[in-house]
Amino acid sequence: MSGAIWVVGEMADGGLVRISTEIATLARDLAAASGGTASGVVVGEAPGAAAGELADYLPAVRAVSVAGADGRTAAATTAMAVADLIAAAGEPGPTLLLLGATPDGRDVAGMLSALLGWGVLVNASAVTWDVTVGGPVVEMSTFGGRLITTSTFTGSHGIVTIRPQSVTAEPAAGHGVVQSVAASDSPVLRPVALVDRVAEASAEAPIEEARIIVAGGRGVGGPEGFATVRSLAVALGGAVGATRAAVDAGWIPYATQIGQTGKTVKPALYLALGISGAIQHKVGMQTAETIVAVNRDPDAPIAEFADLFVVGDLFEVVPALVAALRSRGT
Amino acid sequence: MRIVVLTKPVPDTTGAERLGPDLRVDRTASPAVVNANDEYALEAALKLVEAAGEGEVVLLSMAPASAPETLRKALAMGAHRGVLVTDPALAGSCTLSTARVLAAALRTLEFDLVLAGADTSDGTGGVVPAGVAALLGLPYLSYAGRIEPSGGRVRVHRLSPVGYDVIEAPLPALVVATQALGEPRYPSLKGIMGARSKEIATLSLADLDVSVEAVGGAVGGAVATTRVLEVRPPVVRAATEIVREPAPVAAARIVEFLQTRKII
Amino acid sequence: MTPDHRSAAYRLTPDQLALRDAVRELARARVAPRAAETDRTATFPEDLRQLLATQDILALPFPEAHGGIGADLLTVCLAIEELSAACATTGLILAAHELGALPILLAGSDEQQARWLPDLASGRRLVAFALTEAGAGSDAGAIATRAVRDGDEYVLDGSKRFITHGSIADLVVVFALTDPKAARHRNLSCFVVERGSAGFSIGRLEHKMGIRGSPTAELQFDGVRVPAADRIGEEGEGFSIAMRTFDRSRPGIAAQAVGIAQGALDVATQYARERVQFGRPIGEFQLVQGLLADMDAATEAARALLYTACAAIDAGDGDPARWAALCKLVAGDAAMRVTTDAVQVLGGYGYVEEFPVERMMRDAKITQLYEGTQQIQRLVIARSRLARG
Repeated sequence: MSGAIWVVGEMADGGLVRISTEIATLARDLAAASGGTASGVVVGEAPGAAAGELADYLPAVRAVSVAGADGRTAAATTAMAVADLIAAAGEPGPTLLLLGATPDGRDVAGMLSALLGWGVLVNASAVTWDVTVGGPVVEMSTFGGRLITTSTFTGSHGIVTIRPQSVTAEPAAGHGVVQSVAASDSPVLRPVALVDRVAEASAEAPIEEARIIVAGGRGVGGPEGFATVRSLAVALGGAVGATRAAVDAGWIPYATQIGQTGKTVKPALYLALGISGAIQHKVGMQTAETIVAVNRDPDAPIAEFADLFVVGDLFEVVPALVAALRSRGT
Repeated sequence: MRIVVLTKPVPDTTGAERLGPDLRVDRTASPAVVNANDEYALEAALKLVEAAGEGEVVLLSMAPASAPETLRKALAMGAHRGVLVTDPALAGSCTLSTARVLAAALRTLEFDLVLAGADTSDGTGGVVPAGVAALLGLPYLSYAGRIEPSGGRVRVHRLSPVGYDVIEAPLPALVVATQALGEPRYPSLKGIMGARSKEIATLSLADLDVSVEAVGGAVGGAVATTRVLEVRPPVVRAATEIVREPAPVAAARIVEFLQTRKII
Repeated sequence: MTPDHRSAAYRLTPDQLALRDAVRELARARVAPRAAETDRTATFPEDLRQLLATQDILALPFPEAHGGIGADLLTVCLAIEELSAACATTGLILAAHELGALPILLAGSDEQQARWLPDLASGRRLVAFALTEAGAGSDAGAIATRAVRDGDEYVLDGSKRFITHGSIADLVVVFALTDPKAARHRNLSCFVVERGSAGFSIGRLEHKMGIRGSPTAELQFDGVRVPAADRIGEEGEGFSIAMRTFDRSRPGIAAQAVGIAQGALDVATQYARERVQFGRPIGEFQLVQGLLADMDAATEAARALLYTACAAIDAGDGDPARWAALCKLVAGDAAMRVTTDAVQVLGGYGYVEEFPVERMMRDAKITQLYEGTQQIQRLVIARSRLARG
């Protein structure tokens, strides 16, 4: 397997989502290692701006404009457009597609896998090019994080979805070429209408890409307790996360939930307050670079895998910590 | 209101997991449970059928032959019957093969809605439902926080980082459920006892049309599109530093720690 | 004479295991977190009663024909045991509901069963058992509440005391004197009184040592008119109905006791693993090990006797009263001993609210007192022994 690597960029609010810049950086590295090429594809109603951003990271980007795309969900539109492009590209077309392991990225990856008949490896934490294997080698964490598997494709084509913050984004030396393409609206996939976008007042900042996450669990005790969690997040410039217990109790929205049935995150710092560290939560955050935990229970499971574990009452430690951070002049 | 729920038995995350000598998931290594996210999909399906006052919820699984016991809990929750696709040739299937087989099985069923859980705890995939929808030409509505069918269409709240998008499509459609739909019910005692007599139909590959024309390519473990090269345990973290000091002292230690790690 | 034991063998069936495990999971996830609060506030956990109803747990003792599960005595006891390990008050919801329903199940007419059982099986209505009076505890023959026939009705006058669920039950099964001149075993009759009946009122609510979430009430009957159609069984059959009821309800209390003991044993075991003194977990010290071992033995023995008794009673053993008394006697004493020792294992922490064992010890005591004191159980057993030789 060698040849072209395509990055399928992801758009949000007309611009490019940050993970696409990370993946583009990875694509360049893989292209260099494999002796192939890296390029990008951005699909949307008005993809020009996002394509321009992606071109800071890749030598070539195809901006595919699809009329009416803003009124539809992204997955079917993007998958169809990419599949059409690949069909039109003929031989030799791309052999490797890279997408973000995000809700939209997963959706597109799943559809493309079926449309193209290519295998897909998901939630990669690292991708390298192995000349002996003759293709990409993808590292993923499975079984709730208890095993790291390294896999590759058996055929000559493949799709990989990559977790946020697995790669540090680095712009390319120059600005790439953006080629505008008008899509053919082939009705292979049924479109889904986008009727409305609702922003909720209670929504917290997105945690998937946060560098610092301050999370609260059962020990927070109630929705009022999350004000304390939030105060520390603000002091550190981070996002607020939560365990399933807190979400199920209605103290904080589901979008903040980290764990087996919630999100998996890999921040630079995960600060756990009143969280026991049971396996169902651990799987969502155990690859964080640094884990600090505060819990009244000295025997909480999180004590075994945290880097720093403070035995104490979070409602005493957090205000003291916020004060200490402030007095540093942070 | 006929709903098919894609259900995957997975190893219990609290048990011991293993990949076998052939580096495939050893599904006998620990007790299997229904994938946690699928239970949310099942709960949503049960509520929709109850609200409609008629219809049925059917479980569809592609799994080893030992799966029926694991499906009993889902039947005890209230699903009406199950369909299990099991075949030795399917052991070691990749996600693409799984999507093809499930699509072929769905072609033998009649439904208004297919529901699936957001992803599985053993492979953290989440791409199979999208593949199934693409193969069957079904509208695909993912990450649902709310599902509202009415008048031959379905409206879904798709969770977004800031709230949700309202999306809509005609039925039949495939919807991916999230936890925000509501806690799965505990099986009632009558449900548990009734589950024993509910039907689980078993299909092998011979019972399905898995021709290349029908599903776009070959199926089975022998033609898996991916393979595992190596398995290893994750890097062990260094020993935990434990701090048992009054709050101000502990706070100072945390600040110092974060500074050493260059986080602040 | 060696007991026959022909009918006393048991083996838990797959259905029983599935039901037991389901109740255990429910108890762990939904009942246990509420137990401390229920005890501290002495509030009846109405939400948990609803949960038991919707999960069909209250349906266990009732026939399928009336919307129940038709479970046997052993299965009902498995459920009571699992609930009680998490919270004795919640286990009592099932046990007391079954107790109140038993007269209807054992002696009610087809018409009465069709009238009352469906709502009881669904848990929509609760039923309480009212035999005890201020002057008639162990001495059931001293019952003074009168039921005087008047045309198509009876008029009830008197009061009952220490009635579990008396203040919240929709139906109360009342034992009253219909024939003061008849022999002790033939002078009582059994009636079902509806809540809200004119003249029926709730008196004091007891403040108790344990099972504090369970309302224990005094009931007043002032000229309460009860239709003759609401009399269960024949006139004079009341005492017999009560005794036959105890044959099946006493194992329920034994199950509560076994559950309480198991809950206390589990807490003490976990504590012994974690608590470090003199540089080691205290579970490594022999004196603590001795306590835990004796607690385990007592609990398992009580459990084994309970399950055997249930199997014998379900199989129609000729002397159910002896089995019921045996299992209740042993389990009640085991619960008291195990919970007391659990407090001992926890030391000072066992004495404070932060850990549940002090509550479990207070809860355990009632199992030596109600549904026949341990002393009454001994009389029943001895009489049975001496009668058969």
